[in-house]
Amino acid sequence: MAHPIEEEIQRELKEHTILIYGKGTKTAPQCGFTVETMEFFNQFGYPYEIINVLENPEKREVLTQMTNWPTLPKVFINGQFYGDTDVLGPMQSKGELKPLLDKAFQPAD
Amino acid sequence: MITPQTITDYVRQVLADAQVIVTDLTGTMDHLNVRVVSDGFKGKNLLDRHRLIYQALDEPLKDGRIHALELTAETTDGS
Repeated sequence: MAHPIEEEIQRELKEHTILIYGKGTKTAPQCGFTVETMEFFNQFGYPYEIINVLENPEKREVLTQMTNWPTLPKVFINGQFYGDTDVLGPMQSKGELKPLLDKAFQPAD
Repeated sequence: MITPQTITDYVRQVLADAQVIVTDLTGTMDHLNVRVVSDGFKGKNLLDRHRLIYQALDEPLKDGRIHALELTAETTDGS
């Protein structure tokens, strides 16, 4: 039986095409990098969700194990892990990110 | 708080040839931009390159000497 927190995460990943696990919320971010990630995605105009795990050490640990990535924020696009803006920034400058987002938000025809 | 030399030593335990440039983002030497240049990154995508650096800096991240990290990871020919 899968770990309940893993199930919760899988559900959240299905619900949101762009999902950012971070510190604080959209209206009250509590970490410079969470703000930076929001501003980064604001450039594209696609909707994204921030899930606050600041006060949830158990969920943070599950996320860290899942991604082999120790820090927050953690960005997922279409359920796939992409690290943070240190990874997404270079992807953008190589022109790899926009097509990825366009495809992710394309209505399934 | 941590010194650039200590960071370099940690990184070189994983990437022996690494050139490491540390920039203090906030003046407290715990919010840092760390740029690593090493041919140990060849053939690795960005995620895996950053994972290598995080593994190397696992201890100071866990004990709080490093609070926040911005990373760049390139090979010596800048790719």
